[in-house]
Amino acid sequence: MTYQEIQVKLTGVMRSVFDAPGLVLGDSTTAGDVEGWDSLAHVELIVAVEKAFSVRFTTKEVKALTNVGDFIRLIERRVK
Amino acid sequence: MFKADRSELDYFELVKKAKALSPSGGKPLLRVALLGDVSTQHLVPLLRVLFSEHGFEAQIYEAGYDTVEVEALDPSSGLYAFNPHVICILQSTQKLQSPFHEWPGDRGRFPATKAREIQGIWSAIRERSGASIVQSTFVVPYERPFGNFDFAVNDTLHHAVLELNRELKLLARDGNGIFVNDIDYVAAWVGRRQFIDEKLWALSKSICALEYLPDVAQNVVDIAVATQGRAIKCAVLDLDNTLWGGVVGDDGIEGIELGASDDTGAFRNFQLYLKELGRRGIILTVCSKNEDAIARRVFREHPGMVLREEDIAVFVANWEDKASNIRLIREKLNIGFDSMVFLDDNPFERNLVRQLTPEVVVPELPEDPCLYVRAVSELNLFETASFSQVDSLRGALYLGQAKRDEERSRFGGLDDYLKSLETTADVERFTPKNLPRIAQLIQRSNQFNLTTRRYSQADCEAMMQDGAHCHPFSISVRDRFGDFGLINIVILRRSGATLEIDSFIMSCRVLQRGVEQLAMNKIFEHARRIGARYVVGRYIPTAKNAMVKTFYERFRFTQTDSSETEGASYRLEVDAYETREVFIRDASARYGGAAA
Repeated sequence: MTYQEIQVKLTGVMRSVFDAPGLVLGDSTTAGDVEGWDSLAHVELIVAVEKAFSVRFTTKEVKALTNVGDFIRLIERRVK
Repeated sequence: MFKADRSELDYFELVKKAKALSPSGGKPLLRVALLGDVSTQHLVPLLRVLFSEHGFEAQIYEAGYDTVEVEALDPSSGLYAFNPHVICILQSTQKLQSPFHEWPGDRGRFPATKAREIQGIWSAIRERSGASIVQSTFVVPYERPFGNFDFAVNDTLHHAVLELNRELKLLARDGNGIFVNDIDYVAAWVGRRQFIDEKLWALSKSICALEYLPDVAQNVVDIAVATQGRAIKCAVLDLDNTLWGGVVGDDGIEGIELGASDDTGAFRNFQLYLKELGRRGIILTVCSKNEDAIARRVFREHPGMVLREEDIAVFVANWEDKASNIRLIREKLNIGFDSMVFLDDNPFERNLVRQLTPEVVVPELPEDPCLYVRAVSELNLFETASFSQVDSLRGALYLGQAKRDEERSRFGGLDDYLKSLETTADVERFTPKNLPRIAQLIQRSNQFNLTTRRYSQADCEAMMQDGAHCHPFSISVRDRFGDFGLINIVILRRSGATLEIDSFIMSCRVLQRGVEQLAMNKIFEHARRIGARYVVGRYIPTAKNAMVKTFYERFRFTQTDSSETEGASYRLEVDAYETREVFIRDASARYGGAAA
């Protein structure tokens, strides 16, 4: 999967989890920028992304995430 | 409990539904408090939506993370201010790790000590609240330092958790209004390997994988709903291809698959399961498209039948549509549609019943009869908050009824008939032995219930002990044909010259036999004894208790006020009451003494 493809798919998952059909993501988007992206929703997001991409992240990886760009690169590493 | 199958339990779907949930459509309110050493936020939307689907509007109080003891011990805590109906305590095996490994001395003592600690929390809550306490079990950890040899070693965490769960169940059994939320059963059912989620624990202290939180929530809902008196009482069974393979009308009694002629054993297994439900107090009935004589012959003569005619309270085999027949069964048993479950292999019949009697619970049955037991039992349809002798005897009760009906047709007048039954009653102030059954009747009775006040067992115990203001009594009845057990409850409260009937509840099994007249006589006897001038009572209407709307009028009480929602109040001067004639022998000479 290319970076672009992952971004599109991730946007879809996030829109569904945050219940925000118009959500647009940039690489520097952080949890603070998205309404409803609290620690509760973060856990849901991780589970939903793991399911959608058929990947598993380590706990440390999840904790180290700071923005969407990080997240996409993490997924990129895992899907390979 | 599920109406059809478990596919309703998807985490993300439920969260979406919770967001769309609109406040109350007139559903009864249930205040549920969550206490835990795990995070509870993810459970809240799930509980709200699942309670709503079971007919309740849940208000949920979340105590702070890991504040179980503080909330329970502090009389001014948010928990008590919230005044919950149900208090749900969720505890995790993860939080047992440290205390277990740091345990000084004999690890064999760890489970009992921990169980007592938890019992202490229950007692602290019980001192301040009459709420039902729903205590979780601990998920048995998968790691076994000794492997299979663990059986021989009693100082591993694995062993300690098994013991702790056992201890908790024993303590809860003797406790007062304590229910066990067997999370370990849920974990074992879905598989501990899937259920336990180390990453989610690390990230958010979640008790299990997100995917299985709905199972945990559903289990809480099942218990809470049962404490509110909602329960399945009756199973309506199809025959052909449900209790046996094939169609008896076409294949003949020798041609159906059952017992020796069923090499899968599926139908025998299903019948064994149903027989067990009967033993547990679920009323079994038959609703089949068949010739009555042909259908009954299988019950009488087929050697492979586990269920016999005497296991079936109402047997309906004809060519009418099944919804009409279910209405007929409901009338005979005098129960609500929502306490009936319909089991039929035929999708057409299932859909018909769902459409025409939507309150009846209609589970999907799989194509393979070998899976019938699994399909029905995994819905947890038969959750209950109590079990008493009466439950296990219920089948016999309904059979006794059939004999009584027969007898009745031989007598001219009703009085003659009532006399012939040789009914005997025990009237007693509440006793500790009777409390479980009393609480059960208070929680379950909907129809012959004047005020529908749902007191818990703890409330009843408090009333039992309050000799100064409260006179709660029960009536148990038996006759020539059988024992009905405890079927009537009256709670009287004294206030100056007035004696108030706080609650008057009767099981519908004993209508028109003079029990309510006997109870009213006893109420006025008590009023005279304590020197009251008036007896007052109230009728509070609900969706189900119209049958007692004119109850007080029938006893010549005068209506003193009335409102749409609050119902009507009634009053009668003690001296104006005429003692009613009843054909019931009062076996309780002790009553006068016990009442003083």
